[in-house]
Amino acid sequence: MIGQRLIGLFLTPALAIYLCLFLIPTGCTFYFSLFEWSGFGSDARFVGFGNYRRLWNDPTFWLSFRNTSALLFAGGFFVFLLAFLYTILINSGIWGKKLFRLIFFLPNVVSVVALSAMWAYIYNPRHGLLNSTLKSVGLDELGRTLWTSPDNIFWAMLAALVWVFTGFFLILLLAGVDKIPLDMYEAADLEGASHWHKFWYITVPMIWDVMTISFVIWIINAVKMFEFPFAFGFLQVPQQLYTLGIYLYIMGFGQRDPIYQLGYATAIGVVMLIVAFSLILLVRRLMRRDRLEF
Amino acid sequence: MSVLRRLPIYLAVWAWVAFTVAALLWVVMSAFKSKREVLRSGLKPPAELRWENFETAWNVGRLGEFFTNSVVIVGLSVLLILAVSTPAAYVLSRATFRGREALTNLFVIGMGIPIPMLFIPIFGILAWLRLSDSLTGLTLVFVAVSIPFTVYLLTGFFASLPSELEAAALLDGCSDFQAFLHVMLPMAMPGVATAAILNFIWLWNEYQLSLVILNSPDNRTLPLGLYSLQNAMQYTSDWPGLFAGVTIVIIPTILVYAVLSERMITGMTMGAVK
Repeated sequence: MIGQRLIGLFLTPALAIYLCLFLIPTGCTFYFSLFEWSGFGSDARFVGFGNYRRLWNDPTFWLSFRNTSALLFAGGFFVFLLAFLYTILINSGIWGKKLFRLIFFLPNVVSVVALSAMWAYIYNPRHGLLNSTLKSVGLDELGRTLWTSPDNIFWAMLAALVWVFTGFFLILLLAGVDKIPLDMYEAADLEGASHWHKFWYITVPMIWDVMTISFVIWIINAVKMFEFPFAFGFLQVPQQLYTLGIYLYIMGFGQRDPIYQLGYATAIGVVMLIVAFSLILLVRRLMRRDRLEF
Repeated sequence: MSVLRRLPIYLAVWAWVAFTVAALLWVVMSAFKSKREVLRSGLKPPAELRWENFETAWNVGRLGEFFTNSVVIVGLSVLLILAVSTPAAYVLSRATFRGREALTNLFVIGMGIPIPMLFIPIFGILAWLRLSDSLTGLTLVFVAVSIPFTVYLLTGFFASLPSELEAAALLDGCSDFQAFLHVMLPMAMPGVATAAILNFIWLWNEYQLSLVILNSPDNRTLPLGLYSLQNAMQYTSDWPGLFAGVTIVIIPTILVYAVLSERMITGMTMGAVK
C-alpha cells in the first residue's frame, strides 16, 4: 500500500507548480477579460462584457477568426487526406517503412523558426527554390508567382504547415494500423474484398479511437496556432496571417510599438478556449460509438 | 503485388521523402555558400566550405551565448519536469485514494488549454514574483506547461508495469518510498527517458512563451536569437549567415532524433494508441 504521506509528498510539487503557473493563470484570464486594462502598471476598469462586444464589432478579430477557421478546416482536410493516403501507401508492404516514417516525422523535431526561414527562401520570388524549379521545367508563367504576396501568403504558409503536420498524424495513424491483426486482412482477401473495402470495413473501424484522438490533437493545435505563422510573417506579421493567437499577442504586447490592451487581449484568449473545448466535445460526441472488441 | 503496380506507390512516397530531405540538406548546404552563391547556384553544393558564416552567426549573431542559455534553461527544465512529474504520475497510477481520477483529469486538461491564453496572466505573475525577463522565470513556466503531457505519458507507463514486484518489495518490509525508489523507478526508466527526450525537443524549439517572457537580448534562447537573425536578414540579405544559424539550431534536435527516434515515436504514439 502507498501511504497517505507519500501520496501527499509526491503530488504536492507537481500540483503546486501546475496550479500556480498554469491553471490559475488560465482561470484569471476569464476575470481579466471583464476589465479595460491598459498596462501592467495602470489601473483596470470593470467593463463587464464590454470587451466581448468590442470583439464582435472588430473586423480584425473576425479576420483572425476566419484565418484560424481556414487553418482548422482547410488545413485539417489536407493534413488528414495526406496522412491517410500515405498511411495506406507506406503500409502496403513496400520496402523501407521505418525509414519513411522517420523522414515524414522529421520536420516535427525542427525549430519552427528554422522551418519558417527555410520556407521563406523556398518561396523567395526571384531566387527561391520553388520558382527556379518551376522555371527550369518550363513553367515560366507559374514560376513568376509572388508566393508571399498578400493574396497568397496565407495559403503559402498553410502548405508549409500541412507538410509539417502530415508527418505527425501519419505516425499516429500508422501506429494504429500496426495494431490491426493481419488475419483480418487475410480473411478479407479470401472473401475477395477490394482494397477500398478492406480500408473502409477493416482499417477505419479498427483505428477509430486513434482517429478521434488525432482530430482532438489537431483541433488543439489549430486553435492555438501562433508560432509558425508568426515567424513566417517576419518583422511585421501581415494581417493576412493573423490567427487568434497572433491577434491576442499583438493586442497584448504590440509588434513594433507597444499596444497593451490587456483586458481586450485576454478576451481573445477566452474565445480560443471556448472554441477549442466546444469543438473537442463536438468531435468526441460525433465519433462516439460502442467499443469494438476483437 | 507486382513491381509494376508498386511503382506509383514508391514514386508518391519517395517524392515526399526526397522533398523533405532535399529542402533540409539545401538549407545546410547554403550555410556554407557565399552571399552571391546562395542566390545563383540553386541546388548545387557549395564551391568551397565557408565556415566563416558559422563564425558570423555564432559571434556577431551571438548564437554562441544563446546556445549556452538554451542548454542551461532546457537542461534545467527537463530535470525539474521529471523530478516533479515522475512521483506524481507514480502516485496517480499506483495508489488508491479518493479523488484520484478527478486529479488525473485535472492534470490532463492542461493539454487542451491554448498556450497563448497564458501570455498575459503569466507575464503579470512573473512581474509580481519579480521574475520577469529572467531565465529562472522562463524555466518555471516551462516546467508548468510541460507537466500535463509528462504526467499523462508517465501515468500510462506506470500503469503498464506489472505489480508483483512492488507487492513483493512491500511484503519484504520495504517502505512505500523504498519500493518506489528501488523497484518501480528502475522499471520506469525507459518511460522517464522517453519523457526526457520529448520534452527536450519541444523546449529546445519553444519560442512563443520565450518571446513573451524574455525581453533583454542577453537572455535570448536559441529560437529567439534565430528569430532576430531572421529579422535582421531583411536588411542585410545575409542568407548564408541566417542558414548557418538555422543549422546551429537544428543540429542538436536532429542528432537526438537520429539516435533515439524509435523510442520517441513509441512514446508519442503510446498515449494515442492503446
